[in-house]
Amino acid sequence: MENGKTLIVIPAYNEQNNILGVIGDIRANLPDADILVVNDCSVDATAKMARQAAGVQVVDLPCNLGIGGAVQTGFKYARDRGYDYMVQIDGDGQHLPREVSKLAAAMAATGSDMVIGSRFLDVRSFRTSWQRRIGINIFRRLFRMLLGLTITDGTSGFRLYNRRSIEVLARFYPSDYPEPDAIVLLHKHGLAIAEVGVAMRARESGHSSITALKSPYYMAKVTLSIILSCSRTRW
Amino acid sequence: MIMHIDKIHLLGAIFSFVILAAVFVLVRERHLKEKYSLVWFLIGLFILVMSIFEGLIDWFGDLIGVYYAPSAFFALLIACAYLLLLNMSVSISHLKTHNKALTQELGLTKLRLEELEKKVNGSADD
Repeated sequence: MENGKTLIVIPAYNEQNNILGVIGDIRANLPDADILVVNDCSVDATAKMARQAAGVQVVDLPCNLGIGGAVQTGFKYARDRGYDYMVQIDGDGQHLPREVSKLAAAMAATGSDMVIGSRFLDVRSFRTSWQRRIGINIFRRLFRMLLGLTITDGTSGFRLYNRRSIEVLARFYPSDYPEPDAIVLLHKHGLAIAEVGVAMRARESGHSSITALKSPYYMAKVTLSIILSCSRTRW
Repeated sequence: MIMHIDKIHLLGAIFSFVILAAVFVLVRERHLKEKYSLVWFLIGLFILVMSIFEGLIDWFGDLIGVYYAPSAFFALLIACAYLLLLNMSVSISHLKTHNKALTQELGLTKLRLEELEKKVNGSADD
């Protein structure tokens, strides 16, 4: 990441209270990176707040696409404008910009195409609900079984991508709950994936997109798409 | 008994004519794509043929070993409906994919336009 243009993509949906804090935090820790806010058709003042920050690019999506569609907009932007690296930092303030250097160091050390910031590799592990833990464990086994990869935090969206990953994911990126599926996608394209332990913050405001009611659906959908992606031979 | 069967067959024939006419008008008025009309024409024709030739249902029931012939007819129709619904889901998935790509492209293009406007306005001020 030392030599090369880096884009920070902030997918944001109704994050008017968090967005400026997140941008400020990125500026303080990563002064050389460009910032793109993808406003996923928020109904609050997210876009207006983001535009107050100088030098930040804001894409306003005319329809709500969900996290996958929003992040893919970032991949397309990064691809079209020749960025070498892209980092996803969520608009809710959960991902810490100061931890990006760990992702970059892991990418340099392992030569991988994508580095996932994992909440479960580090000692100061992020506290999460037991339901989510069960889900993450199931994914861990699935990745082990289907790909032979050890991924401790397949649902983490805090990731660093290089140019090769950007080009693949600009073309194919799942619409909803994309993170676990994207691992399979990159692996099937022959790209290398690494993980590094990072700290994350509990959300400042707003709610997780995965509610108790939606989590069985989430598990079923993601498991299905992981298995289907594995069986796919033509892209 | 004979009268009863005649009535239902007459109803079936009328119903199929309504379907065929409706599909014809919808395609002509461009409310329905030719591609999707084909399967509806086939369904209309199927019901028409079934109601004109009374023996067909019994023959079909015998063929697949169903004693009560009308239930064979229902099974066939339900199978057709399932296939049709699957076809609709596929179409919706395609639409969603296209819609997503267009939405992203529109968002990115609007940003380019904003940049361009800024640049043009900036150079006009100089």
